[in-house]
Amino acid sequence: MPKDIIIELTINGKNIKAEQGMTILQAAQKNGIYIPNMCYDRRLKPYGGCRLCVVELEGQKRLFAACSTPAEDGMIVHTETPKLAKARKTVLELLLVHHPLDCPICDKAGECDLQDLAFKYGPSQSRFTAERKHDPERVDAPIVERNPNRCILCGKCVRVCAEHQGVGAINLIGRGFKTKVSPAFEETLNCEFCGQCIDACPVGALGAKPYRFRSRVWYMDEYEAICPYCGCGCTTNLSLREGRIIRARGKDGIGINEGNLCGKGRFGFDYIYSENRITTPMIKKDGKLVPVSWEEALQYVAKRLEDIKGKYGPSAIGAIGSQRCTIEDNYMLQKFMREVVGTDNIDSVARFGYAKAQKALEKAYDVDFMPIKWKAPLNADFMLVVESDITSTLPVWGLNFIKAKNDGATLVVADVKETKLARNSTQWLRIKPGSGTALLNGMMKVIIDGGLYDKDKTSAVPNFDALTAGLKEFTPQAVSNITGISEDAIISLARSYAYPGKRLIALTSNISENTKSMNTILAAANLAILMGDDPDTVQVPAEFSNTAGMWMSGVRPLSGGKDVYDMLYEPGAVKALYIMGENPIVTFQDAARVEKTLKGLELLIVQDIFLKEAARIADVVLPACSWAEKEGTFMSATGNIQKTPKLVAETGQSVPDWKIFRNLARVMNKDLGLKDITAIRAAIADMIVSGETKDIRRSFNPASYEVMETVSEEYPMFLVTSNILQHSGALSVLSKNLDSVVSDAYLQVNTKDAKKHGIHDDAFVRVKSKRGEVYLKAMLSDEVPEGTVFAPLHFAHAKVNALTYPSLNGGLPLVAVSIEAA
Amino acid sequence: MLSENAVKEIGLIRNKYHDAQSSLLPALYVVQKEHGWLSPEALKEVGEILNVPKAEVKGVSTFYAMFRHRPIGRHLIQLCTNVACMIMGSESLLNILKERYGLEPNGTTGDGRFSLVVMECIGACGTAPAMLVDTDFHDNLTEERIVNILEKYK
Repeated sequence: MPKDIIIELTINGKNIKAEQGMTILQAAQKNGIYIPNMCYDRRLKPYGGCRLCVVELEGQKRLFAACSTPAEDGMIVHTETPKLAKARKTVLELLLVHHPLDCPICDKAGECDLQDLAFKYGPSQSRFTAERKHDPERVDAPIVERNPNRCILCGKCVRVCAEHQGVGAINLIGRGFKTKVSPAFEETLNCEFCGQCIDACPVGALGAKPYRFRSRVWYMDEYEAICPYCGCGCTTNLSLREGRIIRARGKDGIGINEGNLCGKGRFGFDYIYSENRITTPMIKKDGKLVPVSWEEALQYVAKRLEDIKGKYGPSAIGAIGSQRCTIEDNYMLQKFMREVVGTDNIDSVARFGYAKAQKALEKAYDVDFMPIKWKAPLNADFMLVVESDITSTLPVWGLNFIKAKNDGATLVVADVKETKLARNSTQWLRIKPGSGTALLNGMMKVIIDGGLYDKDKTSAVPNFDALTAGLKEFTPQAVSNITGISEDAIISLARSYAYPGKRLIALTSNISENTKSMNTILAAANLAILMGDDPDTVQVPAEFSNTAGMWMSGVRPLSGGKDVYDMLYEPGAVKALYIMGENPIVTFQDAARVEKTLKGLELLIVQDIFLKEAARIADVVLPACSWAEKEGTFMSATGNIQKTPKLVAETGQSVPDWKIFRNLARVMNKDLGLKDITAIRAAIADMIVSGETKDIRRSFNPASYEVMETVSEEYPMFLVTSNILQHSGALSVLSKNLDSVVSDAYLQVNTKDAKKHGIHDDAFVRVKSKRGEVYLKAMLSDEVPEGTVFAPLHFAHAKVNALTYPSLNGGLPLVAVSIEAA
Repeated sequence: MLSENAVKEIGLIRNKYHDAQSSLLPALYVVQKEHGWLSPEALKEVGEILNVPKAEVKGVSTFYAMFRHRPIGRHLIQLCTNVACMIMGSESLLNILKERYGLEPNGTTGDGRFSLVVMECIGACGTAPAMLVDTDFHDNLTEERIVNILEKYK
């Protein structure tokens, strides 16, 4: 329905304007008029289940549910009349027939819709009596608890889960009084544990276990903060009691996420309370890290840095920044390294992740940062997602793809793995791992050969001939061989992509993924340029909360310094390394090589919040404040610059990262000239431009399909790695809440492969590649096809990254492995 | 495990409808026709074939009274006990079933021959009492007649 038509109606004597197509409830809410409701959710289709939103319409006898009645021009609505009060009272009486009056021990009390409405409209005594329900509470699942007795069967949780999250783990099972919200067979809930159902529940039937019996709502203070995990930059509402964060939730309409959160954002905040937090500075003495004072630690760092600088020159010193530290922290790191140490050897793990996207987009469009558009999926008619599990890496942005598909857009997913997007797609093309680049090239070949591209717009773009020459070998037949899908599928995908309409290609570029390279993104950009589409039809998000901000603050070699590949994979390239907020032994590929380089350094300084693998082998460890313990700024994948406040006290003697650099500079007799966070912000204000892209200059860059390793007799299977939904890098495994969902690495093996190798579910498997071997627990699953196995990288002890290797540019870092039952 | 035929039939049903949800009920009929009831395994399989979450399959199947979630005997007796049939003596028919076959409402005979469901009105009030055996309709039942009829179902 056209939204731009404005209609006028009267609610409670007040004339209001609304868009055509809005329901009465939406029109009222938009104009600040309250109509009670329990089953309505802005994100979902109207349901009309609870009947509390009934209103009177003049000229009509019966009552209408405001949530499912379209507002019409000239309508005269009354929302509070004696007749309505009576109707609502009866509805509440009926809802309370089975509802236990256990508010004194219910965590929802104080913010419960049923309680509030019963207080407003309800009688103190119900005319109806019936046996109360007495189902056992279900606390067997991780994180989510269910109390079916309190449930009013509004179905909001069921609908959020199925319609909005694209999961459908729970449903209304049964009929009539016996109906219960439950997984299919009353089994223990096993879903993605996003917790959206908990926020949606209007009563206390669903709750967060970590919050269970922890507080009454009126004892808590609530603050808005920016989630520390991925590049979405969601606003999370944190509830604090006695200075401790005990709950996080999304609030309707707040932040770019408009109240949606994923499991990481909702439950992962507790990593800041991990036992592994570093509480004091430490120096290695006689091979052991011993606690020292800040003075001693800084003096020591200063002296050792001066020594190495004196002995080998400043270029023997390098630094690694963090995609999770704030803009201020990263800015001060690079300022310290450049101005005090005098080196340009500054880089980060993003070199193998988002930097590839940046490099590709710079080649294609001549811009060095292209923020994603939050609503891009919602404006597209045809979405193509190439080998990217967007609902795992940027879960809340990923929801927009599901919504767009539900609203009628076409979603095609090309992926070897059955991801959530694949399950929610219009069409899922199960291509062979790493063949996305070839698929995109194959599509272009079909489009060019068929003359389906935008000839006017491409005529001015340089390198068209080089592109067509590069595509020569990507005939449907050849691409069919590479991707494993039929020629017809490739041709029809190309044709439907070229069909007039608003197109979108989305893919991620993360270090944990080994099926894409810079060339994949180049190929996507080529395709978009070929079709004459705008650059924002290629959406490549920055991975973490401050990946974009870190890049912008200068944490990368700017004048010929060594990049992270040189520093970590070329032993001896640097003698000293200053690592801030990163654990290269877990997050970088080919762990053995990284560890060897780190161990061979003369000086390793690790400034972090946790004492983990890299910190344990460091010469100096400096305790930094975590996200909620310091004020700071993040730049999200959309280019939003958002401040996040200091909410809790520092752990032990930890100090914000930026302050450590300020102090260290002072100890080294240099003043960086920025004494507090206000000064830093003023200094970086000019440097950081968000979302503003300069003039775009398009060019074609042939993207070859370079496989760096292929399967052989000895290593006959492909190992695919990436982030999983419940975890993010190496940080989230320090969260007890998230660990209660997935606490260990695993290897997804197809059931047929498992049978062939005699591998049982949950039993150990030996996985070998050219670089090493590890033992992982098998998870039999048809999410992966025969010949492919999948493993997440988050878990340090599992060392999956001992099997993998890095790729800086266009090469596809595919990993061939062999598996056998251990 | 669903038979190859059933899987094929469900596939054909799926193609008839715009979305998977719409094809769910007819698909469940196929399964019930084949197995006599809807086992958890069968529900899961239907969900996988149609790409509908298994919780939704279970939710839909438990909403409708005609789907059975327990195994039943070879023949299903659905006896009406609504007002007209009750007045015309359906209660004594229930007694006969209990005495002769040991069959109680919602129960199955030990030899798996009959299952009994007491149902509300099958629209045969004029010729009450009435029952359905599988899909066959029988009315004007008497104690003698019901035994004679049932003897035909082995």
